[in-house]
Amino acid sequence: MALTHEDVRKIATLARLRFSAEEEERLAGQLAEIVDYIDQLQSFAGEAPAADAPGMREMADVPHECLPRERFLANAPASLDGFLLVPEVKGGGDA
Amino acid sequence: MPDLWELSVEEIAARVRRREVSASEVLESCLARTAQVEPLIGAYLEIFENESRARAAEIDRRLAAGEDPGPLAGVPVALKDNLSLEGRAVTCGSRILAGYVAPYTATAVERLIAAGAVPVGRANMDEFAMGSSCENSAWQKTRNPWDLATVPGGSSGGPAAAVAAGSVPLSFGSDTGGSIRQPAALCGIVGVKPSYGRVSRYGLVAFASSLDQIGPFARDVRGAALGLQAIAGADPNDATSAEVPVADYLEGIEEGIAGLKVGVIREIDPSRLGGDVAANWRASLDRLTALGAELVEVSVPSVEAAIAVYYVIATSEASANLARFDGVRYGRRSPEADNLADLYFESRSEGFGPEVKRRIMLGTFALSSGYYEAYYGRARGVLERMRHELDAAFRTADLLATPTTPSTAFRLGEKVDDPLAMYLSDVFTTPASLTGLPALAVPSGTDANGLPLSLQILGRPFDEAGVLRAARAFERQMGWVVAPGFREAERV
Repeated sequence: MALTHEDVRKIATLARLRFSAEEEERLAGQLAEIVDYIDQLQSFAGEAPAADAPGMREMADVPHECLPRERFLANAPASLDGFLLVPEVKGGGDA
Repeated sequence: MPDLWELSVEEIAARVRRREVSASEVLESCLARTAQVEPLIGAYLEIFENESRARAAEIDRRLAAGEDPGPLAGVPVALKDNLSLEGRAVTCGSRILAGYVAPYTATAVERLIAAGAVPVGRANMDEFAMGSSCENSAWQKTRNPWDLATVPGGSSGGPAAAVAAGSVPLSFGSDTGGSIRQPAALCGIVGVKPSYGRVSRYGLVAFASSLDQIGPFARDVRGAALGLQAIAGADPNDATSAEVPVADYLEGIEEGIAGLKVGVIREIDPSRLGGDVAANWRASLDRLTALGAELVEVSVPSVEAAIAVYYVIATSEASANLARFDGVRYGRRSPEADNLADLYFESRSEGFGPEVKRRIMLGTFALSSGYYEAYYGRARGVLERMRHELDAAFRTADLLATPTTPSTAFRLGEKVDDPLAMYLSDVFTTPASLTGLPALAVPSGTDANGLPLSLQILGRPFDEAGVLRAARAFERQMGWVVAPGFREAERV
């Protein structure tokens, strides 16, 4: 199937990615080629997936020690008084 | 007398435990070999010189005190750059994780250390394990020790090249659609993708959580068996690790495959393989027959859809897993953003490389409203069918055999601009990933250009022992395939 530039921009927004016009052009072509290949799936009959994946089990719901805050925050790009710091929450984002 | 770096995993551990050589002597030999070959190969992103020396010295102290450091005593190992070792960087081959330091150690790595192994470095990989050539690493290219103009395969190209070049006898990677088996094949070594659930993924950077498994690389089957033994088994920190008993993989490994039924998938058409691959494939089947196995034909029609299914399932899961890289809690934060939404967009757009973005886009598309049923839903359905077809095949056959890859090592740059051609490298490895079966790549000779070829052996769920036994029988018949410039050490 053909992917329009509009499609690519919509998916990019969902994926929280931005592309230059040139990147968008290349990506539209590459994704269309890959999706064309994947479209062969439409000619394969599937079966209903099992309700639960084999071998899965639930973890016991009991409190346990987690990573100490300071060790977690050591990898944070910015923090303040033991909390993660982010820029203003309002605005931006519509690609 | 071979140098210490040439010895097998088993030989090193045995000599260290008998105190014929020290762990420090083994390590120095491997570090010297690494210094010699690394400028040509580029397998490592970092070498833990001081830390590995301290660990080897500690093993020697314990031996001197009469303790047994374990079945991998003094064995130097390389770790793929997506396995956490507390206090060391882990970047998953990506700029978005530049500067990230692991706050805890992966269960598999903890078990290796508990078994006496000595981690010597962090090895290169395709960014977020997405690729078949190691060329998608944000940091460097890795070259194939058999021919420096060719790729080592991927995504675990660094760990595979490190073992093939003799820098370490054992290394560990992860396999989501072939990322252990394909580089093992291209580098002429043994690589094992265990059953889904066999090895804990706690501390492995997630790519596609229903597929990812950690597994070993070694130059011989017994070495790979020892490596797997050390890391296998359930872990309370990974709810997907299975409570299935772990067999002793060396016990019975020499028993051969006489009388076993080896399934050959009818839908794999040799005429679509490269000439040498097809001829080698037939020769490998003859070897299995000569070893007393009976070849049986099985039908798995859905294998033809395996790549399509894989690239929907894996990218869908990746698009969800990689949503956590948002510039807030860890990893790269864009200095450009002045509000939170822009922070997400800018950090991700600056931090991820082209292949990772392509796959996030594809997965987001497959999961998006209006396309979900046609792509993700359909892929899940075909996957279920594949599972049933393979279940049926394993009612007739004890093992399945296929080529590991459709071609030998390709040239650096050859496929880098053609994502779909790169994806097609995974044609034989994706079925075992999708259905969670154990699978192993074992060298099966060389092509006209002297590049390694490989046989893939698949087993029933959790029958790693059966797969290893078959591979060992094949290896004994085949003889070791030894990389040029690599002197052949004593065989075990």
